[in-house]
Order: sequence, then structure tokens, then C-alpha cells
Amino acid sequence: MPRPMSIADRSSSSPAENPSPLTGRNWFERLLVGFIDNHTPKCREVIKLLSQSMEVKLPITTRIKLRLHYLICAWCQRYEEQLRALRKIASSFPERVDDCCPETLPDSSKERLKQALRERTPE
Amino acid sequence: MQSRTALFRIGNTSHIASCTNRGLDNFAGAEHPENLAEISSLEGFNLATLIEMKLPDSGAANTVREPSCCVNPDSWVDLHGDCLYRYALLRVRHPEVAEDLVQEALFAAVRTYANFRGTSSERSWLCGILKNKICDYFRRLAHEVSFTDLEFLEDEMSHKFIDQGWNHDLGPAQWKPDPEAVLDRKEFWETFRSCLDKLPQRVADVFMLREIEQMETAQICEALKISQNNLWVMLHRARMALRECLELNWFERKPRVNAETDEHRR
Repeated sequence: MPRPMSIADRSSSSPAENPSPLTGRNWFERLLVGFIDNHTPKCREVIKLLSQSMEVKLPITTRIKLRLHYLICAWCQRYEEQLRALRKIASSFPERVDDCCPETLPDSSKERLKQALRERTPE
Repeated sequence: MQSRTALFRIGNTSHIASCTNRGLDNFAGAEHPENLAEISSLEGFNLATLIEMKLPDSGAANTVREPSCCVNPDSWVDLHGDCLYRYALLRVRHPEVAEDLVQEALFAAVRTYANFRGTSSERSWLCGILKNKICDYFRRLAHEVSFTDLEFLEDEMSHKFIDQGWNHDLGPAQWKPDPEAVLDRKEFWETFRSCLDKLPQRVADVFMLREIEQMETAQICEALKISQNNLWVMLHRARMALRECLELNWFERKPRVNAETDEHRR
């Protein structure tokens, strides 16, 4: 059952929980991190938005929120870089088909195709 | 590395005569709009799709120029059969369907051969026709396939999050080596392909059209008869799964306890 996220909830670090983002910070950083945490979307939502941003330009407020979120979350920032890398990889894929696709049309199919084509070829 | 070997199930890698897609994507109609119009009207093709499905950069480096004196379908099968088949197979994934599509394309080619002026290579011309057959196939499919795939990944990824935030131990890792540096590695593309194969068909179709064929989202929605929102959800999941799969199987990272999720993805 997902609990509402708050800094207090994450203060202990049992195996199922992340260490608190507030550990080892001074009062100002705590305030800042707490603020960003409360006012930007959560990571699960962020990665959805990031995928969306590959399709449409997000509203400026959303983009600012994402930027702020990156200040406290290196994973989401990395996720964005990787989405861009993935796009680049995918677009290079057609040129590299030979590298990964050794399949050939079976000879029997070739013969069948030739036969079928001969019947259809106008003289 | 166990998870990596599990992915490599495309066994035999016998070398096959070079057939790069660069050549394939450069088809007659693209250079000569009048050809395009004729092919399109004869075949009842959607002209817009023909143009827009063409990928940019149509270098003719690897195309084979054939004299276009007479129609010789036998030679089409011998010279371009494997290439066309592979091209179709990567997009539709089922060997039988790929074969049928190649056949449909060749039949159409025989019918419209008169319009082929030999201005481009035979191979790219044939491939242009095949592309349309594939697109038509996706359209037909739009009515036949339900969207059960959408449930995909919803639970599978939940272990990566704690309270909607990344689990610090499982969040995205730094990719090393740099993705740019691996694009020349044959093994990388084998991994990429097996990752694509692991996606549910529908999600893979959508990703393929968007990121590999680089179609516009509006066109994909129209062709597959889905809403934009639906498309976004599927793209999101495809990206999430591919990112994960590449990270686990290519970019250096220690295998994790719950990492093998093969059964779920099928």
C-alpha cells in the first residue's frame, strides 16, 4: 500500500527504504530539499512526463518543475539522458539491420514465390 | 553474465550478402514524385503515407543498379528476397506474416512494373512497395488486436520505486561505455533486437513506428486507431522496458536479485 510521501516517512533506512534525503545537510539545505520534494512531481510521474516531452513540448511550468526536481534527483536526470540516447539508438537501427538479423527467406519459400510470380507475370 | 546469455537467443549468425537499409529506404517514388503518384493510384496506396514513411537521408551507396529491360521476378526473389524478408520480419516479427507481405509486395511489383523507370535501384523500389504493405498490415491489425498489452510493466517496475520515488539501489545507472560508442558494435544491435523482441507485440509496434520509422504521433494514432493518450502510455512503457533491458544486458551493471523478468514480459 503506497504511503503518502513525506520526509518524515523516509528518515529511517531499513532495506526497503531509501536513506533520507535530509541526512547530513544543514538547515538551509533541508529546507530547500523539502521544498523541492513537496513542490515537484514524484519520480514515477516525472518519468512519464519525460517520455511525453519526447513527443510534445511541455508547458513551461512543468519544465521548470522538472529542472528543480533534477536538483534533488540524479536518477530522473539520467533517465532523461537515456531516453535521448535510446531515440538516437533506435533511429540508427535501420542501418544496422544486417548486424542483428541473420534470417533469410527459406529456399522452399523462394521457390514457391517464384512459381507464384511466374503465374502472375504478364507475357 | 546470466541475464545476458539469456537474451542472446538469435543463435546462428551466418553472414549474408550486404543489404543495408540505407539502400532500402531510398525508393523510386521518393526521388520522382510522378512515379510515386502512379504507384499510389494504381495500388490504392495512401500517398501521404508513402511520402512520410520515407526516412531522411537516402544515400544510394549500397543499392544495386539493375538494367530495367524486362520484368524478371525470379531475379527479384534471388537478389532481393532475403533483404525484403528481413526488412519485413523486423517489423512484423512473425516469419509467416513477413513472407506473406513479401509475396504481396512482389505481386504488386509485377502489376506495376510498367511504372518502374529504373531511375532508382530495383531493390529500393521493391522496398518502397513492401513498406506500404507493412503499413497496410498494421492498419488491418488495428481492428483485430485488443490492448491487453497495456497492463504490461505496471507491476513489473513497481519494485524500482519507493513511495513513487526511485529506489536508490535500483534507479537508472550511469551507462558505460557511452551509448554513442557502442553504435558500431554488432553485439550491441543483437542485444537491442532481443530487447525489442521482448516487448509485447503491440507496444513494440508503436515504438517501432515512432522511433525507428520516425512517424509522427498523429499518423500513428490514425493508422493504429488509438488515442494520443494511449499512444503516450505505450511509448512510455516501451521506453521504460527498453531502457531497463539495455541497461541490464549491455551497459555494465551487476545482475540484481529480481532482475530476470522474462516470464512476465512474454
